[in-house]
Amino acid sequence: MSKSGSLFTPYLNGTVETVRRGLAVVQGRRFSAGAGIIWDENGVVLTNNHVLGRQNPIVTLSDKRQFEARILARDAEVDLAILKIEADALAPLTIGDSTNMRVGEITFAIGHPWGQLGAVTFGIISRLTHAQTRGPRGVVPIMRTDARLAPGNSGGPLINAAGEVIGINTMIIGGDQGMAIPSAVASELIKTVLQQSNKKDDSYYEPKHTPGWGQENVI
Amino acid sequence: MAKKETPLTALSKALADAVEKAAASTVTVDARRRFPASGIAYAKDLILTASHVVERDEDIKVILPDGSQVEASLVGRDPGSDLALLRIEDAEAAPAEKTEGEIRPGQVALAIGRPSTEGVQASLGIVSAVGGPTRMRRGGVLEGHIRTDAIPYPGFSGGPLIDDAGRILGINTSGLGHGNSIAIPVEIAWKIAGTLEKHGSIKRGYLGIRSQPVDIPENALKALGREQASGLLLVGIEDDSPASEANLMVGDILVGFNSQAIESADELFSLLSGEVVGSPTPIEVLRGGKLETLKVTLTERAEQPRGRKRKRRMAWGFGDPHHRGRGFSYGRGKGRKTSFRMRHPHHGIGYGCFSLDDDDLNDE
Repeated sequence: MSKSGSLFTPYLNGTVETVRRGLAVVQGRRFSAGAGIIWDENGVVLTNNHVLGRQNPIVTLSDKRQFEARILARDAEVDLAILKIEADALAPLTIGDSTNMRVGEITFAIGHPWGQLGAVTFGIISRLTHAQTRGPRGVVPIMRTDARLAPGNSGGPLINAAGEVIGINTMIIGGDQGMAIPSAVASELIKTVLQQSNKKDDSYYEPKHTPGWGQENVI
Repeated sequence: MAKKETPLTALSKALADAVEKAAASTVTVDARRRFPASGIAYAKDLILTASHVVERDEDIKVILPDGSQVEASLVGRDPGSDLALLRIEDAEAAPAEKTEGEIRPGQVALAIGRPSTEGVQASLGIVSAVGGPTRMRRGGVLEGHIRTDAIPYPGFSGGPLIDDAGRILGINTSGLGHGNSIAIPVEIAWKIAGTLEKHGSIKRGYLGIRSQPVDIPENALKALGREQASGLLLVGIEDDSPASEANLMVGDILVGFNSQAIESADELFSLLSGEVVGSPTPIEVLRGGKLETLKVTLTERAEQPRGRKRKRRMAWGFGDPHHRGRGFSYGRGKGRKTSFRMRHPHHGIGYGCFSLDDDDLNDE
């Protein structure tokens, strides 16, 4: 217990501080930006596919350093994109195990809703379910949260109580429910991509083109 | 990997445990057209749910937490408080545990629902207010309600509102609150469920008075012999009603019913149900500065016909169709409109207008 006698506040502050250091701003289009997760120390950044446009995205770190990122992969089927920046002294986020989450566990969504950098919303896992994709995966697990999301949260992390990334905030459903892609789906994709790009240096991996999610309520 | 235990992870685990515990007695109730809703196991074979999600009286299906689907029959319903009780055949559900003690604003509340076979759903909030009596949309009055800011997702109606230990605080009836999320406190819901189990319906009493709240005059307070700020001045007595049989008169101030003090019409209304219907009940009035106790025998209120809901579209104006006012009609046939002048609590006096749909005209 802290000096102020508060039970949760020091832990909340600590968790949010740590996560913010591993959170990036990804400017993928001319007039919009999303969030990005620094995945490892080599400069792999994970974000949503719909955050990206036609140009190379600009990634801004929490210490205001800016990098032009290289796109390693875009997967419209699960709406994920993997970027690479040539930076050192990165503070990657801890990746949690999203496969044994339970309904009711607390979550934090951290991102840049409506352009407010590093804003935090709080909620719980409200539903663990599956979504039909328009691609070869068929069905992927998704998690829904009652933490409020807004445009700008896209690509940002969904954090559990231990401060680990358990999902990537992707969509708003019905205005008050957030949808996140579990981190297990993302780490699987990143593993595949990194294996491919290790074989042929500087290769660009793109899974067979698939039409993306409906664009209407993508954040 | 050994995880560090912090108060946050402990809270997270406690909430997930609470959801898991309540989920064991939360079932799916499939008895309406579009999508199923939720229900609570009141007893081993009894499911308590919201009345507005049980649209049909037959072919009701209940899906238990283990995924097995069973047939259910309607034991009874009370549209006034929006509760319905179902009996499941050849199956057992784990009865829910209700909370003990007082429900306080600020305490953590989770809304739980199971609208599909995919598993339980939950949303987090707090108890925003505990209040009452509440006038419900279909004419009933509840003794109390819980207001919460937990988001009621589609299909949460009939599901429980639980505390952080997984015990039931109330039953969610998002269909009733005026745009807000309102839960019926578990004590009241359990009481109504008990009556539904025994009698199949809740008797709503009919008294036959028109009244307005007034301050009790000082000289009458002495005769009353207790601290009470206001009572109900009777301004009208219906002919051939229990009130006229009991010799209530215009000008009486109604101060008590069934040995409980009455300060407002809502309080009286919430007492006019259950066992008092049909049996002589004491009613206290101030008449000429003196306290008199009369005996009244309530009759049963005629059930509102459960017809098609009248569709009304707002043509212009403000407020909603529940702000009814005196109006006049103009136009004929399909395009006929009713307009009225009304006072809005925030916007003052204005004009509203409903256009009548074809359905309405066919009724007339």
